[in-house]
Amino acid sequence: MTAHEPTSRLFKENVKAAMADPNLQKAMKNAGEGFVGKRRAAAGGVPEFDQIRDAARDLKNHVLGHLDLYLARYEEKVTAAGGHVHWAETAEDMRRIVLDICRSVDAKTVNKGKTMISEEAGINGWLEENGIRPVETDLGEYIIQLRGEAPSHIIAPAIHVTSDEVEALFRERHTHLPADRNLSELSSMLSEARTILRQKYFEAEVGITGANMLIAETGQSIIVTNEGNGDLSQSLPKVHIVLASLEKIVPTMEDAATVLRVLARSATGQDMSVYTTLSSGPRRAEDPDGPEQYHVILLDNGRTEMVGTEFQEMLRCIRCGACMNHCPVYQAVGGHAYGWVYPGPMGAVLTPSLIGVEEGGMLPNASTFCGRCEAVCPMRIPLPKMMRHWREREFERNLSPKAARYGLKFWAAFAERPALYRLATRAAIFALGLMGRKRGRFAKLPLAGGWTAQRDFPAPEGGTFMAAWARAQKVKGAR
Amino acid sequence: MSARDRILARLASRLATGADREAAVSARLAGERPDTPRPMQSRTTPEERVEAFIARAVKADATASLIGSMADLPAALADELRRRNLGPSVRAGSDPALAALDWGGVEVSRGVGRIEEPATLSVAPYGLAETGSLAFCSGPENPVTLTFLGETHFAVVRAGDIHAGFEELFAAHRASGRDPRTLNFVTGPSRSADIGQTLQLGAHGPVALHIFVVGE
Ligand code: SF4
Repeated sequence: MTAHEPTSRLFKENVKAAMADPNLQKAMKNAGEGFVGKRRAAAGGVPEFDQIRDAARDLKNHVLGHLDLYLARYEEKVTAAGGHVHWAETAEDMRRIVLDICRSVDAKTVNKGKTMISEEAGINGWLEENGIRPVETDLGEYIIQLRGEAPSHIIAPAIHVTSDEVEALFRERHTHLPADRNLSELSSMLSEARTILRQKYFEAEVGITGANMLIAETGQSIIVTNEGNGDLSQSLPKVHIVLASLEKIVPTMEDAATVLRVLARSATGQDMSVYTTLSSGPRRAEDPDGPEQYHVILLDNGRTEMVGTEFQEMLRCIRCGACMNHCPVYQAVGGHAYGWVYPGPMGAVLTPSLIGVEEGGMLPNASTFCGRCEAVCPMRIPLPKMMRHWREREFERNLSPKAARYGLKFWAAFAERPALYRLATRAAIFALGLMGRKRGRFAKLPLAGGWTAQRDFPAPEGGTFMAAWARAQKVKGAR
Repeated sequence: MSARDRILARLASRLATGADREAAVSARLAGERPDTPRPMQSRTTPEERVEAFIARAVKADATASLIGSMADLPAALADELRRRNLGPSVRAGSDPALAALDWGGVEVSRGVGRIEEPATLSVAPYGLAETGSLAFCSGPENPVTLTFLGETHFAVVRAGDIHAGFEELFAAHRASGRDPRTLNFVTGPSRSADIGQTLQLGAHGPVALHIFVVGE
C-alpha cells in the first residue's frame, strides 16, 4: 500500500459516489447526531465556556505572533531533557527523518498512535516500501489500515464503517482464530482487537505518536486519547517519535489547560478525555520503563506560508472535529469524498493551503454557509469566511470549473444569508436551465460577459449541491 | 542554511519585528499570563473538593472509595479484589507509601507492567477535582506501564493532594521539583467508540479503574 494520493480535485464525483453508497449512508446516519448532542451538553455544563473559547483563541493568536521565538525556546527545553528535535520543511523530509531513526535501531515493526500528521506525510506507505511494518493501534485506525483506507474523520477514523463490516473484516483478516467464533457482540470484536494489538505493543522497536500540543515552557509533548494506545505505543518500544506540525506550540502548562478545557468537550462531549499525557525526553536514569530515545519531528509543509495571510487563523485549529460533526455537507458525504487527509470544513480550508489550490480548490465549495462550523469551533476560526477567501482566489486564478465561476462576487454577497442564498441559487439554476435548455450551453449570459467572452457557459443540470443533499437527507430520514 | 533556520527565518520575515517580542515571550514563559477564565468546576472549596472529585471520576465511569488512612489500604484492596472476582495479587512499583504497609493476604509483586496484568496498583501524587482525574508521575515508584496494562487499575490518592483546578495542580507539580518523563492524567477507564460508533469501556488500557481516596 502506498501513500493515499489526493483525489480532492474529483470532489464532485466523490460526492456522487458517496451519496450512492448505502453502507456509508448507514454508517453516517448512525454517527451523526450523537456528537452534536454530547458537545452541546458538555459545553452547556460550563457557564464560562464561551469565555474560555475566547481565551483559547487569544492564546493561539499570541503564539502564532511569536511562533519563531516559541519554537526556539521549545527546542532548547526538549534538548535539555535529553530529547531531539528534527525540522521537516516538507512531507518528504519527515518521511526521510522517520526512516533514518527507524533504521538506526534496525526497526522491523513500528507501532502508531493516532496521528493525522503521519497521514499528511504518508508515513505508513513509506515505511512499508522500506520493509518496515507500521501497525496502527488506535482501534479505528487499525480497522481502516486493514481495509487499506485513509481515515474519514480526524477523531473517529472509521466512522464510515458499520459494525457488520468490522465483523466481516475481522473474520477475513484474523485467520488464526476459529472461523466459527461468535462475533455478534461489539464487545467480542473489541476484545479480539485488544488481544491482537496487546501482542504488537511488545514487539515494536519504535512507537510513533502525534501531539495535540507542545509546551514551550517544559519541552513536553501532549497526547490526548481515550483508548490508551498512544501511551502503550510510546512507553513500551525503545524509541518514541512524536510527529507534530509546528503550530502546535502553547507557552505553558496552564495554557495547555485552557485548550484542554475546550478540546474534549468540543470533540466527544467529555469533560476530559481518558488519557492526557505530558511527555518529555527519554526515560530517566532510574526509570524501569519508557523509551530510551525521544524524538520530535516538526513539520512545516506549507504552514509557515500561511502565517501573515488571511489563512493564518486556521493555524489555531486543535483538531477537535466539531466543525465536521456539525457540518451538513460532511454528514451527507462522509470524509473520503474530500479526497485528502483533512475533511469537513477545516479540511476545506486547510487542504488547498497545504497541497495547493490546483488539487484542493474544489473543497471550499463544499459548504452551505450555514455557519454551524464557526459557531461550534472552540478556537473561533472563521471557517466560512476563509472558504469564501479560497473561492475568491480560485476565481481569480481561473481554476474553477466553468459552472462555479459564474457570478462569484455576486454570490459572495448572498452567501452570508443562507436562506436568501438557497432561494437565489435555486431560482438561478432554474432560470439558467430554462435559458440554456435548447443548446445546452450559453454563448452570452447576463452579468458574466467577461467570462463568456472567452468560452461557453454550460447549462446547469440537476439542481444545486444543496438540493442534492437535501434530497439525500429525506431519503435517509425515510429509512 | 538548515531546515530549522529556513523555517525560523520564514516565520520571522512574516511576523512583526521588534525587541519587545522576545520580552513578551520571556514574560509569558516566566508565568506572566493574562487573566484567563476558568470553569466553575475548577473552583471547589476545600470542604467540597473530595466529594466533587469522586462525583466527576464516577461520571467518567471510575469507581471510588474513601479510606481513613494508608494503613487501611491492604484490607480495602483485598475487599475490592474479592468483590471483582480477582485473585489476591497486584503488580505495583517501589512507592515508599506502599512498601511500608503490611499486605497480609494480598501478594504484591514489584516491577513494570507485563503483557497480562489482571490487577495493578499505583499511587497518584495528584488528583484533579475539576474533572475527576488522577495525575501519575512515571518512574520506579509507579512505573507508567502499570497505568495502561492492568485489566483493572487500582489507584491511591491522598485527599490533601486533590487540587481544585489545573492551575493549582500545576503549581504544586512545579513546586515539588518532580521531573518525570510522563505526567499522566487519567480520567476513568479506557474506552473506544470505533466499532459501530458505540462506546465500550476497556480499549487498550484498563477495563476498570478504582480509586482509593485516603483521608487524613
Ligand atoms: S476548525 Fe475548529 S472545530 Fe474544526 S477541528 Fe479545528 S478547532 Fe475543531
